[in-house]
Amino acid sequence: MTAPAIRVEGFTKRYGKRVAADGLALTVQRGEIYGLVGADGAGKSSLMKAVAGVLAFDAGTLEIFGTRVDSARSAEQVKQRIGFLPQGLGLNLYPDLSIDENVDFFGRLRDVPAAELLERKRQLLEMTRLDSFRARPMRQLSGGMKQKLGLVCTLIHEPELVILDEPTTGVDPVSRRDFWAILGKLLEEKGVTALVSTAYLDEADRFHRVSLFHEGKVMGEGTPAELVARVPGTVALFRAEPQAEALPRLKAAFPQTEAMGAWLRVFTEGLDAPHARSAVDKALVGIQPDDWFAREPELEDVFVAMLRQRGAKLESAFPADKRVPAAGTDLAIEARGLTRVFGDFRAADAVSFTVPQGEIFGLLGANGAGKTTVIKMLTGILKPSSGEGRVAGADMRSAGRAIKERIGYMSQAFSLYHDLSVVENIRLYAGIYGLDDARARRRSDWVIGMAGLAGFENDAAGRLPMGLRQRLALGCALVHEPRVLFLDEPTSGVDPIGRRLFWDILFHLSRREGVAILVTTHYMSEAEHCDHLALMYAGRVVADASPEAMKATIAAESGELVELQVDHPVPAQAALRAAGFASATLHGRAVHLLSRDATTDLARLPGLLAEAGVTVQSAALRPLSMEDVFVQRITALEAADRRAA
Amino acid sequence: MNGFFSGAGLRRLRVMTHKELLQLFRDVALMVFFLYAFTGDIYIAASGVSMQLKNAAIATLDADHSLASRELASRFQPPYFQAAGSAGTPQQAIRHLDDGDVMAVLDIPPRFGERLARGEQVAVQLQVDTSNSVLGFLASSYGAQIVGRYGLELAALREGLGSGGASGPVIQADTRIWYNPNQNDAWFMGISELLTVITLFAILLPAAAMVREKERGTIEQLMVTPLSAFQILFPKVIAMTLVILAGTAIALFGVLGPGFDLPMRGSLVLFFLITALYVFTTAGLGLLAATVARNLAQVGMLTVVILMPMLLLSGAWTPIEAMPEWMRILAWISPLHYFLDAAYGILLKGVGMALLWQPVLAMGLFGIVVFGAGMGRFGRQFG
Repeated sequence: MTAPAIRVEGFTKRYGKRVAADGLALTVQRGEIYGLVGADGAGKSSLMKAVAGVLAFDAGTLEIFGTRVDSARSAEQVKQRIGFLPQGLGLNLYPDLSIDENVDFFGRLRDVPAAELLERKRQLLEMTRLDSFRARPMRQLSGGMKQKLGLVCTLIHEPELVILDEPTTGVDPVSRRDFWAILGKLLEEKGVTALVSTAYLDEADRFHRVSLFHEGKVMGEGTPAELVARVPGTVALFRAEPQAEALPRLKAAFPQTEAMGAWLRVFTEGLDAPHARSAVDKALVGIQPDDWFAREPELEDVFVAMLRQRGAKLESAFPADKRVPAAGTDLAIEARGLTRVFGDFRAADAVSFTVPQGEIFGLLGANGAGKTTVIKMLTGILKPSSGEGRVAGADMRSAGRAIKERIGYMSQAFSLYHDLSVVENIRLYAGIYGLDDARARRRSDWVIGMAGLAGFENDAAGRLPMGLRQRLALGCALVHEPRVLFLDEPTSGVDPIGRRLFWDILFHLSRREGVAILVTTHYMSEAEHCDHLALMYAGRVVADASPEAMKATIAAESGELVELQVDHPVPAQAALRAAGFASATLHGRAVHLLSRDATTDLARLPGLLAEAGVTVQSAALRPLSMEDVFVQRITALEAADRRAA
Repeated sequence: MNGFFSGAGLRRLRVMTHKELLQLFRDVALMVFFLYAFTGDIYIAASGVSMQLKNAAIATLDADHSLASRELASRFQPPYFQAAGSAGTPQQAIRHLDDGDVMAVLDIPPRFGERLARGEQVAVQLQVDTSNSVLGFLASSYGAQIVGRYGLELAALREGLGSGGASGPVIQADTRIWYNPNQNDAWFMGISELLTVITLFAILLPAAAMVREKERGTIEQLMVTPLSAFQILFPKVIAMTLVILAGTAIALFGVLGPGFDLPMRGSLVLFFLITALYVFTTAGLGLLAATVARNLAQVGMLTVVILMPMLLLSGAWTPIEAMPEWMRILAWISPLHYFLDAAYGILLKGVGMALLWQPVLAMGLFGIVVFGAGMGRFGRQFG
């Protein structure tokens, strides 16, 4: 029997007093795509660096292809068989070198013979569709292209094991899907084993097997399906009016209750669909649920349930605030034909939308689609070239300062002063917004209560865990009680519990206090929380509707989502594409596709695949996700652009 | 700048200044460097660096071995020179020079004593290593003086005038040394180092604070608050000025005063006011640099790039009068040049505002222009 590709036992790594990895154990078989799934700081990177032989660890054993790695010497022995792509977009590449030169450099570094290098380079660049940009310097590539180039450079010496640390973080959904497709194909063709990490729980189904990481420990290991089966239950999705009344009642009975735009989403642990319905009815005490859907739980539901079993708390200590939202349909944000031109580049092109008070509005789009430009114009730090807008009742062009006093803003970087304490950060922003001492004290107490920061008041902000840091940043943006809140990629890197608490607060703010919230994100699971979405592409708003309406449009245009569990996913995908399903994509052992006539296709596809030598183990309809919507829309637009060019 | 003088405007300046001070004091590495620069570094500069010729090693290449040649060689004595033996051959002498074992070689030709006794003209050669041009120059001129004096004495002796030498018809130049009567290098070097350190931190601290905000992304956050560019930038200058003044006080009253008896003749209040003005002026340069730099490493490099010409042009190392015409013109726009004038003036000469209004005015104007330019660039970059 051959040794497994990786075997880890009792792996422990400390940075000073902080324990990054605490007794991790896992085994990766040859030929597997193995996923490490978890939030920032969960210990994924420490393990990956140790496996790649670039990080010494404190305790435990690590074996790669049966060779025990316990010193720099033994690490050298296996290094030639390993390819490592560190975290961060293009961080291992040279920005000033062209694609060609980067690949050549890594090839020569690994002593690849010249003739072979030429052939492999041609093949890899063709597969990643980078071959038409060979002479372009790396720094001019998009995030997705950088990541594909990184992959090519990692594979150029034909390693038997590749280690990819968060290759899809910061990459937009279309490029992300593309990356997974290429990776799946390459690994299958070359018979390579892969250890891949991701912070996106919804990417777990891309892997054959996964380990769920949380705070330096493995919470569970297995195939995605096995992990989901660990905590049985039903996800109920429905509307209930008034939503703000229904939510607390449901939360009391089911801690894993979330508001998703106008919908409520409840994970009823341990109940099948009919029992879930009666339990929800009982918890709602008199409020009638509408549009009821019962679904199987997703990995995130299960992960959160596991964390709860280990004592994680989901209740936010939100102060009971009886304030009634400002009545009426006041517009908090009104953009009319906002355009911003840089040279001959139109970063934003006639962008129009409105956000009423009390609504959570999502602005979606890939990097460079124009989201940031729009936010900058609305927050008054960038002058529009043309068009007009009103924010919080003030005119954008004439009352920039008034706008700044009435809005709150929180950036992706959680712009806190890391060397200042929690209270010092809050007091600083209170002072900046001109609050007097009494009000500053009152608001400071409110922020500490809202964010669950009691006991951390004098800790340096930089030492807080991600979730708390994020809520502190939110608190600082809310210290002056703004009527409009702008959030730029607010939850990247935060664990699922932290994310839920965060969205709870946003829901409370919008429903109870009537605050209008504009969120930009390319984290598609966040988009599902919004009341309304605008999708941006090349500076324009190309879709403007509620999440359900967007999904319904895609379902009507392109079809419903079918999932096929198969024994050989790669040939299955090829056969489906040949049969006209251009949307067929790999998800671990499953293939997803869009079908216009689902009933017929569900019946006929197993036969079609049998001809290609593939056995279908199960076939089922799945709900469309916002990511499906995004990818479908953007791919269509890109195709149209290419035809036009 | 709307609302600047209102309560909220002042509160904003206050909380922002407070924030800068807190951040600075929590940066342990920077504070250690800061304290060292204002104490240890100045102490070393004041006690160690000297532009006087002291104990320069001199070898003798004596081809004569007469009484006269030994007499001449023995006149190269401490404190200026230090005999370092004799070299056997000219090649050996050159090698000593090349290796840096000696700084000068005194080459006495054969029949030196005999020809002197006959009253003939004799030449001796002094080979001097002038890699350090100041010391080299001093060594050769002191050497020439020693040789000349010996020659004069011999001549006088032969004329029967006795060995006094000075009794001849020679003009006695009588120099009166003002302001630094002992020609104490410690004062000059100490003050000059203090001003250099002040300049370094006046550029570095605000630039580092600014670029840290850029790196962390907090600057974006400040831009969407009602703060104006002035309210973001000026508190950094206030905070850094306060800290640098504290450092200056430590250096003056903790090192230069007790350690080297620096006189501090003029008004110290005036000195600190002018230092504050100078820091403001120079901090503008730092902020301007921070609008160009993308990270702390670039700030470090830019600081050096700004600091070096400022020092060279200030007259701290060479007198401005000795510079070529075009450099002299540049020197007039170096704020350090004015600060140097003012600082030496107040501390060593005890002069007051009546004499210093010109440099003060020049520094003020320079500061306003630079700070304005920094604010303009900042506004364009983030506006």
